[in-house]
Amino acid sequence: MKITAPHLGNVYIAAKALFDGLGIEYIMPPLNNKEALEMGSLHSPEEICLPYKIMVGNYIQAIEKGADTVLLPGSCGPCRFGKYAEMQMNLFKRMGKNINFIVIDAPGDIGIKELYNRINQISRNSRKGKAGQIKALLRAVRVMNLIDEIEEKAHYLAGYEVNKGECKKLLNSCKRDAMNTNSPRDMIMVLEEYKNRLDNVKIDKGKNPIKIAIIGEIYTIIEPFSNLYIEDKLMDYGVATKRKLTPSWWVKDTLLKPTKLNSLKIKRNAKKYLSLGVGGHGRECIGEAVLAQKEGFDGAIQIFPLGCMPEIVSKVILPTISKEKDFPIMSLVVDEMTGEAGFVTRVEAFIDLLERRRKNVLSWS
Amino acid sequence: MYYLGVDVGSVSTNLVLLDGHMKVVEKIYIRTKGSPIKAVQEGFKILKDKYNNVKISGVGATGSGRHIAATLIGADAVKNEITSHAVAALEIDRDVKTIIEIGGQDSKIIIIRNGVVSDFAMNTVCAAGTGSFLDRQAERLDIPIEEFGDYALNSNIGVRIAGRCAVFAESDMIHKQQLGYNKADIIRGLCDALVRNYLNNVGKGKEILPKVFFQGGVAANKGIKAAFERALGFEIIVPKDYNVMGAIGAAILGKEMAEKERKTNFKGFNLADSKFESNSFECSGCSNRCEVVKLIENNQEIGCFGDRCGKWSNRVKSILIK
Repeated sequence: MKITAPHLGNVYIAAKALFDGLGIEYIMPPLNNKEALEMGSLHSPEEICLPYKIMVGNYIQAIEKGADTVLLPGSCGPCRFGKYAEMQMNLFKRMGKNINFIVIDAPGDIGIKELYNRINQISRNSRKGKAGQIKALLRAVRVMNLIDEIEEKAHYLAGYEVNKGECKKLLNSCKRDAMNTNSPRDMIMVLEEYKNRLDNVKIDKGKNPIKIAIIGEIYTIIEPFSNLYIEDKLMDYGVATKRKLTPSWWVKDTLLKPTKLNSLKIKRNAKKYLSLGVGGHGRECIGEAVLAQKEGFDGAIQIFPLGCMPEIVSKVILPTISKEKDFPIMSLVVDEMTGEAGFVTRVEAFIDLLERRRKNVLSWS
Repeated sequence: MYYLGVDVGSVSTNLVLLDGHMKVVEKIYIRTKGSPIKAVQEGFKILKDKYNNVKISGVGATGSGRHIAATLIGADAVKNEITSHAVAALEIDRDVKTIIEIGGQDSKIIIIRNGVVSDFAMNTVCAAGTGSFLDRQAERLDIPIEEFGDYALNSNIGVRIAGRCAVFAESDMIHKQQLGYNKADIIRGLCDALVRNYLNNVGKGKEILPKVFFQGGVAANKGIKAAFERALGFEIIVPKDYNVMGAIGAAILGKEMAEKERKTNFKGFNLADSKFESNSFECSGCSNRCEVVKLIENNQEIGCFGDRCGKWSNRVKSILIK
């Protein structure tokens, strides 16, 4: 068995730690790129959302390199993500490829027994004992939490750094060095070291950078390729950004969901505008917008793929929040047709808007 | 003290020269024709002949070709079109509340409250109704683009044209033509359809309050202006320099930046005589495989664009967005 998994932001680093730890052979698809998107679009229904297309591209590129098993998280939720696994299985069957799909659904949807069955399909290929396997899993979780923490810190500190570009450089070399390690233990050491280095980046506390919250559909905000590397661009502009949704947040949220204790703060803040889950992370998007305003951000950017049902619901609600709280929010829609020039113009104009607004308010007081 | 603004757009390249009181001394409107470098050089040739001895104290660049233009001329400010248009409009009239800007290939709405941009939108899905589409229709109907709008004013009743998509709008126009409707009614119908499309797409959910400024090349079209007034129910204003507003804004921003930095990066008017070359290649440094463009002036590299990591674009220290 040669296992592969679709890309989602930095999860590939944790996936490497997991499979290295378990001693399972795996094939990482090349980082998201134009060819993956082109191939994915070719084999996907035209109206399906962007993440589906990129994921299909990931599988195809991994299969070319010899992968025969796909591991992906599932959901029986009310957004189209719930259909991904079934549709992708059908697609590869039609293409005449014999690919085994292991879909990790929530136990509430498929039963705990079935979940064990599916996990067992992976773990039986590991030569490690039960204890060793659990250790590998815990280490992978640790890697994921660390890289999310590092990334969050770098994105935020980019607004305060004294030497322009230092945070971005550190973040990039951190990912590269982590991928060059051979064991999860070494990887954790590398990540810890970078975390310390980020803590010691020279910052100017007197700076008051523009602060933007990134909200919206989880895949398109986490996966940089799908949003035309918006967070990198904002780092270049010296904007401090924050994004609440991360892979580690998702894991925690999914695990806590059955107890209904997940993301209480976000839900509480969303309540006035959207009190029900509308699928995907529509309610979270609303809650985060309200929270961002409370936390003193200058504005928020919502990103979602064309045709994303939950985010269309939140997009219609956001202007009300924007008006009531006097808080600028811009929505950006991405798909395989998104032109970079128009996208960048909008982001730049939004930053200008926030800057000039601030100047104006200051000159009035 | 003079300030220069350069707006390199998809269809036209505009240059303006402002005096110390932000009054337009010279405006040049050149068709870009797919080669922005040549267009900027052409503009500089005209400026060089007339203003070679004046002192330029600040330069700004805007438009979709702003980065290439900024590298060529040594701009102090590089700003997007939205900010530039807003700055120019506010310079003329502090009370402006809405800007409708329709250029060669995109259309925008800018909402201004209390003298600052509070919201904006750009066309996302379709370019129907922008300059290039109108150009093509004028050509097809064999009417000079300058007279296109006047035709619409001669009609009393517009024919309903499907304006959602440029291609379908054209088919619908041809269909109506074959049914025997006269040109004037079809053109008025087209103007109405494009305005409807604009208000439903770009202007969706935006509060359009007077004063409304109508800027960009399409503002020359009286038919579209009249259609906007019919749809909105109040007068809209086309400023005197409507077609170079972006460049005016850029010049003002260039002035601000040059004053802040106490110097200008302006390279002078001599670039009109330089020889420019551009090479593009795919960088093989990592898996991103960025398409990089290298700009060469008289055999000397002056700038690179298109890479994500900064390996190329930082080689020659060019100005960043400040």
